[in-house]
Amino acid sequence: MRTVLKVVDNSGAKKVMCIQALKGKKGARLGDTIIASVKEAMPNGKVKKGKVVYGVVVRAAMQRGRCDGSEVKFDDNAVVLVDKQGQPIGTRVFGPVPHELRQKKHVKILTLAEHIA
Amino acid sequence: MWATLRSRYLHLSAKTLPSSSLTNGSWKLGFSGLNQTFSSSTVERRSNELLSLQEVEKVLSDVRADDVAVVPVGNQCDWADFMVIATGRSQWHVKNIAQALIYKVKQKQKGAKRMVLPSVQGQETGKWIVIDSGRVIVHALDEKARAYYNLENLWTAKPAQKEPVEELTKVFVKVRCINNSKKPAQGSD
Repeated sequence: MRTVLKVVDNSGAKKVMCIQALKGKKGARLGDTIIASVKEAMPNGKVKKGKVVYGVVVRAAMQRGRCDGSEVKFDDNAVVLVDKQGQPIGTRVFGPVPHELRQKKHVKILTLAEHIA
Repeated sequence: MWATLRSRYLHLSAKTLPSSSLTNGSWKLGFSGLNQTFSSSTVERRSNELLSLQEVEKVLSDVRADDVAVVPVGNQCDWADFMVIATGRSQWHVKNIAQALIYKVKQKQKGAKRMVLPSVQGQETGKWIVIDSGRVIVHALDEKARAYYNLENLWTAKPAQKEPVEELTKVFVKVRCINNSKKPAQGSD
């Protein structure tokens, strides 16, 4: 709640603020879906400021354990905007994205990504 | 899902993919080479058994999908070998393509104790359905979504965008600054 995340796709938004984590009592982690409100947006984009959108967390500063025992953490918190059915609103995703998205059934974001960590 | 995980780790550890034969364009040759090099590891063949490229092409031609494009991405990304992109004429057609592929996998695994099904994403809306079967990933889109997302551009233009690594190593060379002031340097006292 109230975490400001960076938007890393070309949907038009720049910063969103999380208003609800869809699953989990303790908050959303890497690979989870959140409901967010757009706080800052590009002038001509698909989403405007103040719109309530869904997003998938693709980079988190909190480390996430992998099944082989290693942990992965990033330098920033980033999100990719998605619609209610899970379709990405933007067409390209910038920056690295982790492998965890494949297990969380977000292969669409993986195909649009440019680099997979 | 375990099969895809295990196959991915095995692939990471044993990178002896004959990528040159895969990019030659004759898919049958490439696949026979793959089976020969990985004959010792049975898990690798299991992920190939979920859906192979020839079966995908046959099912797509049976369902009459338009504009089937096969992109070999083995040299660009290590989590998939082939991406198959197909267009459906309507949303119902797109859902039908996905159903036909899953039916084909079920037919292949008939009689087995436990069936491993490929994961399907986007099944409720018929706009973009992804079927993830290990090394082969099938995207079924409708025409509007295909023009919007433009996946071929993304995957065929990929190798040209590599980072210039050589310039990065030159950046971190230590440069001694010339002391032009009248005060002596700190270490000389």
